[in-house]
Amino acid sequence: MLQDLWHNLDYAASVVLFCIGLYTVITKSNLIKKFMGLNIMETSVFAFIVALGVVDGGDAPIMGAGAEAPFINPLPQALILTGIVVAVSTTALALSLIIRIWKQTGTIEADELRGME
Amino acid sequence: MITWPPLLALLIAVPMTSAVLTPAIARGSARRAFWWALAVMSVASIIAAMLIIRVSHEGPFSYVVGGWVAPYGIELRFDEFSAAIAIICLLGTLAIIFSKEYVTHAIAEPRIPYYYTLLLLNLMAMIGFTVTGDLFNLFVFMEILSLSGYALVAVSGERIAEMAAFKYLVMGAVSSLLVLFSIGLLYALTGSLNMADVAERLDGAAAAPLAVAFACITLGFMVKSAVFPLHVWLPDAHAIAPSPISAVLSGLVVKVGIIGMLRVYQIAYSSGAVDMTGLNTVLMWLGAISIVMGAFFAVFQDDIKLMLAYSTISNIGYIVMGLGLASTYGVIGASVHVFNHALIKATLFLGAGAIIHQTGKRTLSDLAGVGRAMPFTVAAISIGAISIVGIPPTAGFLCKWYIALGAMQAGRPFFAFALVFGALFIFIYYIRMVNAFYFQKPKDPSILEVHEAPATMLGPTLLLAALCLVMGVFGRLPLSFIEPAVNRLLAPLGGG
Repeated sequence: MLQDLWHNLDYAASVVLFCIGLYTVITKSNLIKKFMGLNIMETSVFAFIVALGVVDGGDAPIMGAGAEAPFINPLPQALILTGIVVAVSTTALALSLIIRIWKQTGTIEADELRGME
Repeated sequence: MITWPPLLALLIAVPMTSAVLTPAIARGSARRAFWWALAVMSVASIIAAMLIIRVSHEGPFSYVVGGWVAPYGIELRFDEFSAAIAIICLLGTLAIIFSKEYVTHAIAEPRIPYYYTLLLLNLMAMIGFTVTGDLFNLFVFMEILSLSGYALVAVSGERIAEMAAFKYLVMGAVSSLLVLFSIGLLYALTGSLNMADVAERLDGAAAAPLAVAFACITLGFMVKSAVFPLHVWLPDAHAIAPSPISAVLSGLVVKVGIIGMLRVYQIAYSSGAVDMTGLNTVLMWLGAISIVMGAFFAVFQDDIKLMLAYSTISNIGYIVMGLGLASTYGVIGASVHVFNHALIKATLFLGAGAIIHQTGKRTLSDLAGVGRAMPFTVAAISIGAISIVGIPPTAGFLCKWYIALGAMQAGRPFFAFALVFGALFIFIYYIRMVNAFYFQKPKDPSILEVHEAPATMLGPTLLLAALCLVMGVFGRLPLSFIEPAVNRLLAPLGGG
């Protein structure tokens, strides 16, 4: 059991990160902190998927002189590159929303905002 | 045998490139932006119509992007469920026409082209989501769709708009991550991202991670479609957005979760590697609870758009329940309700938008008696109300009838009871609305002096109301269109 966990430490770490992120999103009242929690969740999923493609002792799959198998799987990295772009745009949009909330109401604490509605 | 041009690729490429070109072409003019958006949607509608004709002749077909054969490249796959693009194009076009006058009051002129950009991107992503055959591609379209959706909620600039958009964004982003996580798991288990290929390779995959993957992806899509305990983002977001956007969000964007679930079911059923009985039971119960709770919350609303938003939760409940029943009639009813509910809810939201635009008021008590001042709009809303309750001969009746039949067929008459009970609740609040508009004494006599909405608003609303009636009378058409797909879906279960 413990050995299994040790062998899959990378996956276990991303699950723990995911839970930390989710906890932050749910419990924090400050909108920026909430969103940082979301960023932690994003990172954990990205790390999980990138870790999928790793092969022990594998090389970067760049063909040419001296290229030797085994290679790591490049597909998850390509996917996550797209995923990071999505995450960046989500962050940009969320931060701009937070700025507008701040300008309109003067606060970014979720519990105070709830009182204002 | 006709050789068809690569319409499927154009269907995505044309709106996508045109959407991002909108600000450059409009150069700050709202009028040019409007005509451009309308032209783009017309082209997309024509392509969509041709594709649907093709699928009804030939059955499902695919397009290979960039010449990379599936499972290595991205495959676009068009089956009967993808015919949902018909309603996406129709509603998208009507929402754009409706926006012409509506947004000039809500948004400053230089920013209007960006509004159309976002709307086009949103519609394009929805089309892409519906026709893609690749799991990661599905995720990307889902993100384009969600991001443009969050931004569209915030454009109205009303006091709590940004807060509603932020709430929507946080829930939406968490659900997207759940979906991405499951896609990663499925890739780890099968080594493939092509849906059909994943289904073939699932056999023999470890049971526990598979169960986690299917649970997370369904959970993610359930947040997107606002099934009961996960609905908290929906009412504010849908009520605060500009009305044409509300119609698109409520009619189409929440259905993305449903279409996603259908795709998951296609993988799960055809592979036979996953036991979906447990999940189906959960979906049935959550569907039934959504129907009743959505209707229950709606009864106590005074704001007409909030009321309509809660009614969306009820209707998603019907669809989810139909899917969970996993009987032929249930799934047919659910898939057709995706289409019909979009028609009905768009009628109601556009009608409500026209009223709010003309009167500047949005609560039932303030709007009492408005039926005398805006007879056509209120007539359209009444037709929508009758349809959504499910009184024959309107569009809502057939799907609900089929879902109830599906409950009987699955040997679960209790759910048919829940459906009828929910419909009664829905009846109560729509009668309250129609009663207030037509029969109550106006609170403020000035409401009798407002004018009927301009043609660009009245036209789409009336057309949709007419379609609600037409789909009630010719309801067999979509039912028999979707039937082969449902039979194919349920065939591995042993005839459903």
